[in-house]
Amino acid sequence: MRTLMRKFSIVGGLVAMGVLGIAAVVPLMTGNAQVQPGYPPSGYQQPGYQPMQPGYAPAQQVAPPQQRVSPAPAAAPQQPPAAVDAQPTQTAAQKQSERPPESVEVDVSTRSVAVTSSFTGTEIVVFGTVEHSRQPTAEAGYYDVAIILDGTPAPLIARRKAHVAGIWINTRSVRFEDVPSYYAIASTRPVEEIADVRVLDQHRIGFDSVHMTPAADQAQMTPEERDEFRRAVIRLKQKESLYQKSDYGVGFIGRSLFRSTISLPANVPVGPLFTHTYLFKDGKLLAKHSNRVILQREGVERFLHNFAFGYPLLYGVFAVFIAVASGLLASVMFKKGSH
Amino acid sequence: MNFYLPIAEMSANIFIFLGMGAAVGFLSGMFGVGGGFLMTPLLIFSGIPAAVAVGTEAAQIVASSVSGAIAQYRRKNVDIKMGIVLLTGGIFGSTIGVQVVKILRQIGQFELFVSLSYVTFLGAIGTLMLIESLSTMRKARGGKAVSSRRPGQHSWIHGLPFKMRFHRSKLYISAIPPLLIGAFVGFLGAIMGVGGGFVMVPAMIYLLRVPTNVVVGTSLFQIVFVTAATTIMHAKQNHTVDIVLALLLMIGGVIGAQFGAVAGEKLKGEQLRALLAALVLLVCLRIAYGLVATPSDLFSIGSVFGGGH
Repeated sequence: MRTLMRKFSIVGGLVAMGVLGIAAVVPLMTGNAQVQPGYPPSGYQQPGYQPMQPGYAPAQQVAPPQQRVSPAPAAAPQQPPAAVDAQPTQTAAQKQSERPPESVEVDVSTRSVAVTSSFTGTEIVVFGTVEHSRQPTAEAGYYDVAIILDGTPAPLIARRKAHVAGIWINTRSVRFEDVPSYYAIASTRPVEEIADVRVLDQHRIGFDSVHMTPAADQAQMTPEERDEFRRAVIRLKQKESLYQKSDYGVGFIGRSLFRSTISLPANVPVGPLFTHTYLFKDGKLLAKHSNRVILQREGVERFLHNFAFGYPLLYGVFAVFIAVASGLLASVMFKKGSH
Repeated sequence: MNFYLPIAEMSANIFIFLGMGAAVGFLSGMFGVGGGFLMTPLLIFSGIPAAVAVGTEAAQIVASSVSGAIAQYRRKNVDIKMGIVLLTGGIFGSTIGVQVVKILRQIGQFELFVSLSYVTFLGAIGTLMLIESLSTMRKARGGKAVSSRRPGQHSWIHGLPFKMRFHRSKLYISAIPPLLIGAFVGFLGAIMGVGGGFVMVPAMIYLLRVPTNVVVGTSLFQIVFVTAATTIMHAKQNHTVDIVLALLLMIGGVIGAQFGAVAGEKLKGEQLRALLAALVLLVCLRIAYGLVATPSDLFSIGSVFGGGH
C-alpha cells in the first residue's frame, strides 16, 4: 500500500510540475493582445474578390494592399458640386482640368490583431484622408465614404427546420460557396442613399450586396427560396455580431480627414481581414483603397490549434494523458484528504 | 475572467465551466455515476458546439473514471478478462460511433441525433430506475427483506457459442453478449459524449448476471479505456476535443466529486437511485422540450465539414 502511495505521489508530482509549467507560460503568452509585425505584407491579393466592372479590373487585380486606385478621368468625370447628371459646360470642364482628381488614402489603427487566450474582441479604427478635397467643411456632406471590413470568404451551409412528426428537424439546406466569414460596414449615411443598387452590388457595399453564391448542385431552388436563405444567413450572422452595419459610422473630422471605429467580436473567425474604403460623390465612385488587417492566433492558442489540426493523433493522446494524469492526481489528493 | 477556447473558438468565462464541472462532479460523486449524461447537455445548452461538447466530454470522463477504476482494482473488484472482452467490443463500437458523428455533422443532423439518443436512453433508464427505487422503498417500508439480486436464471444467452470462463465474475458464458454490449455502449459513448455506465451496469447485472460487487469496477475499467480511445479518435477524425475546456471541467469535477461523495454517504441506496432517476428524467424532459418546442429561429447556419478547412 505504501509503495503504491509513493508511486502515485511521484506521478502526482510530475503532473503538478506539468500543470505549474503551463500555468507559468500562460500569462506570458496572454500579456499583449495586439502586436505589430512588419507591414505591408508582400504580394498579397484577396482571394475571391474579383471586381466585375471592366473599367476597374486591371487596376484592382494587381492592387497590392496599400496601392490606391483612382479611376481614369474618363470613367468618372469630375462634376461641379451642384450638378448630378448634367453635362459639364465648356468652362466648367476647363476649370476642373486645373484641379487634380480626388483620391483616398486609408490606414488602420491595428494592422495585426492577435487571438490569444485572453482575446475578448477588439476595436479597429479605420482613418483616411481625401486628397485634393473640395469639401468646404467637415459637416458639408460633400463626399460619401463607405468602409467595409470583411473576412475571407468561406463556404457555409444554411439549414431550415420543419415540423416533422411532432419534432423540429433540419429539412432544407442551402450551401453557399463564398460567404464572408465577417462583414462590417460603416458609412457616412445609409448606403442606399449613397449610390444606386447596381454600383453597390458591384462593389459589395451593404448587406444586400454581400456576395453569396449557392453551390452548383442547388440550381433547382427557386429565387424566392434562395433569397429567404440569404436573408436568414445575414440575420443569423448579425445576431452573432459577425455582420455589422453602422449607417452613420464614418465621420469627417476636417475637410479631408475621416475616421470610423469597427468592433471585432471575440467570435470573429480567425483569418486575414480586409478594409475596403470607397469615396463617393453624388452616387459616383471617385476612389477606392484597400488595407489588410492580420488576424491570427498567437501564443498558447496558436500552439494548441496547430497541435490539434496538425498532429491530431498526438493531440488526442496528449488529451488522454492530461486526463489520466489529472485523474490520478485527484485520487492522490483525495486519499491524503480522507485517510 | 475570460479564456479563449482554442477548439470551440469562443471566449468563455472560466468560472462558469469550473462551476459546471464542480456541480456535475458533486452529483456524480454523490450518485457514483460518470456524469457525462449531465455534462454534455449542459455544455450544449451553454453554447459549446454539440460535436465539441461530445469530444471534450470523452476526455473529461477518462479523468473522472481513472481514479475510481484504480480504487476498484485495488479492492479486486475488477474482472479484467470480462473488462477486456467488453472493451474490445467497446472500441469497435466507438470507432463506428466516431464515423457516424462525422457523417451526421456533414448532413446537419448531429444535434437532432444526439437529442433523440438522449431522450430515448435517459427516458427509458430514468423511468426504470424510478420504478425500481420506489418499489424498493415501499417494500422496505413494509418491513420485508430486500433482496438485491435474483438467483441466476438460464436463458437463451447461455446457449451461444465461444464460451469463456470469467473467474472473478464466477461465470461461464459465451463471449458474444459481452462483446455486443461493449460495442453498443462504445457506440453510444462516442455519439452521446457519455461513459455509458448507465447502460453498462444494468446490462451486466440483468443480461450477463455479473455479480454486483464486480459490476461497478469492471464497468469503470472498460469505460476508462473506451473513452480514452474515443477521445483520441474524436481528436483525429473530427478535431473536436478542446483540451482547455476539458481541463476546466476536470478541475471543477474533481473538487465537486469529493463533496458529492461525502453527501452521498448520508443517503440510502434506494433514495439515491430515486433522486438520480428524477435527475435523469429532468434532463430527458429538457432535451425533449428542445425537440418539440417551436424554435425561435427556423434557420441555422453551420460551417462545411469534410471539404477542407
